[in-house]
Amino acid sequence: MENLLVILFSVILVNNFVLARFLGLCPFLGVSREFKSSLSMGAAVIFVMTLASVSTWFIQYYLLIPYKVEFLQTIVFILVIAALVQFVEMVIQKVSPVLQKALGIYLPLITTNCAVLGVCILNIREDYSLLETIVHGAGGGIGFTVAILIMAGIRERLSLGRVPKCMQGFPISFITACLMALSFFCFQGFFAH
Amino acid sequence: MREIFKLTVVLTIICSAAATALALVYNLTKEPIAYQQRLKRLAAIRAVQPDYDNEPDKDFVDIKTNHGAKGNEGLTRFYITKKGSANTGVVFSVSAVGYGGPIGLMVGINPEGTISGIQILNHTETPGLGAKITEEKFVHQFNSKNLSNTNWALKKDGGELDQITGATISPRAVVNALHRGLVLFRNNREEILKGKRG
Amino acid sequence: MGFFSEFIKGLWRENPVFRIVLGICPTLAVSTQLSNGLGMGLAATFVLVGSNVFISLIRNVIPDKIRIPAFIVVISTFVTVVDLFMAAYTPALHERLGIFIPLIVVNCIILGRAEAFASKSTVWMSIADALGMGGGFTLALTLISSIRELLGNGTLLGIHVFPAAYSPAVIMILPPGAFLTIGILLGLFNYLSNRKSP
Repeated sequence: MENLLVILFSVILVNNFVLARFLGLCPFLGVSREFKSSLSMGAAVIFVMTLASVSTWFIQYYLLIPYKVEFLQTIVFILVIAALVQFVEMVIQKVSPVLQKALGIYLPLITTNCAVLGVCILNIREDYSLLETIVHGAGGGIGFTVAILIMAGIRERLSLGRVPKCMQGFPISFITACLMALSFFCFQGFFAH
Repeated sequence: MREIFKLTVVLTIICSAAATALALVYNLTKEPIAYQQRLKRLAAIRAVQPDYDNEPDKDFVDIKTNHGAKGNEGLTRFYITKKGSANTGVVFSVSAVGYGGPIGLMVGINPEGTISGIQILNHTETPGLGAKITEEKFVHQFNSKNLSNTNWALKKDGGELDQITGATISPRAVVNALHRGLVLFRNNREEILKGKRG
Repeated sequence: MGFFSEFIKGLWRENPVFRIVLGICPTLAVSTQLSNGLGMGLAATFVLVGSNVFISLIRNVIPDKIRIPAFIVVISTFVTVVDLFMAAYTPALHERLGIFIPLIVVNCIILGRAEAFASKSTVWMSIADALGMGGGFTLALTLISSIRELLGNGTLLGIHVFPAAYSPAVIMILPPGAFLTIGILLGLFNYLSNRKSP
């Protein structure tokens, strides 16, 4: 139990996927203009990351390793993620038009979100058990959501400020991310004894 | 219906071509990769216990522990170094939880349990602070220390081992992990020195 | 457009990192030292050339509906080839780049070029495009990682450049330094190109 909590909080705060590991930067910069759309993107990412973590875990230990084809990991994982995203999209379309409206346009973007493939590969490299994999996958998504929400909040305020012309858009977003990464540093060592 | 059939066939052909190509490359690189991994392991062993002429990576004893390398596996592997038929020492790895994440250490000791050398294998400590645990000044202080001749704690914790300015957690983690490793060896010394199957 | 102009456009005018702001994740993650940046740039260029050529070759056979999955299979095949060869022949670099080698698969630059260029162009032009884009990516990585290694560690390719009295700004090789470097560079380039065309 303690172990799971450590994994959860360190993946959210200490090794945040966006701010410390540089995973999922494209949507982090691309979709963080508004708070509301960031929330939808975050929800979609948490959902897909958890699902992808679980399914790739089973594939690794019940298909790739028994048949000794671990070298197909990259190709199989990315195809599974792509198929998964399509599948989720279809299910959501059938089940909940409201959810479809909120998440719809963000789902296809997630296939090429490196945070999703990243979390699946990390689960295997860190030798996580199934339970740890679930916590790590969900925690990674939560960490992404926390980061993108803070970013969106700052950018909403920033749009009112006067940013020098050459720094508008991406440059100022990167500087903001720099300050966020700096402040997340205070969580380092949180779980050391 | 015909279209679905066509799509399936095309995608299947592409996937099988990809898998075949990868299988070829995999077979081509399998041996060099295994060779590199072996080279790395032997280099790590030699760095902490250079006095041997056997093949320690093929001469090892696995001891069950509660402190596995990743917490959920419970095995520590002890590589045995020999010169001729005499045991010159034992090399094993221990891990610690540092400031930025896990720290992996390779420890070399002589058969009596005195350290002949240690090396940091991997860490994610802060550059310039905790990362100084990899510096010679810190690492070399453990040479010729053992359980009975040393008080295993940092000076600031009332022991006799040097700390690092500005960083306490990383060196403390290293010291504790080394101490745990030495105790583990002492408790299983007979079995380890007996070697693999006699 | 000729071969040369397809090649040259990726280096600056359509530089994937600085102008189109793609492939940011690996750019920031591995640019802690110049050797990593160069290694990543070359690995990605290899994958780009391979996948561009292959996709251009099969562009008329692939039904439109399964275009994207087919591209992904081709790209990940080349990525795995690079992964295996690097593990076999450049193990140290392979270890430092870590998960960012398999993650070349989701580097938007590569899928982007496959979709926007190679699936519509001849093999010869696709090679030019891949070399240019790969070159531009490598150039960007080289610049960013040189700045970070120089300021954050006082070295370049591991060789001390600054006098010993220089105390490195460690923050530059930590995550915030990566964001800071690219933010300031992008702002600078905006400033320069605004001034040129009023």
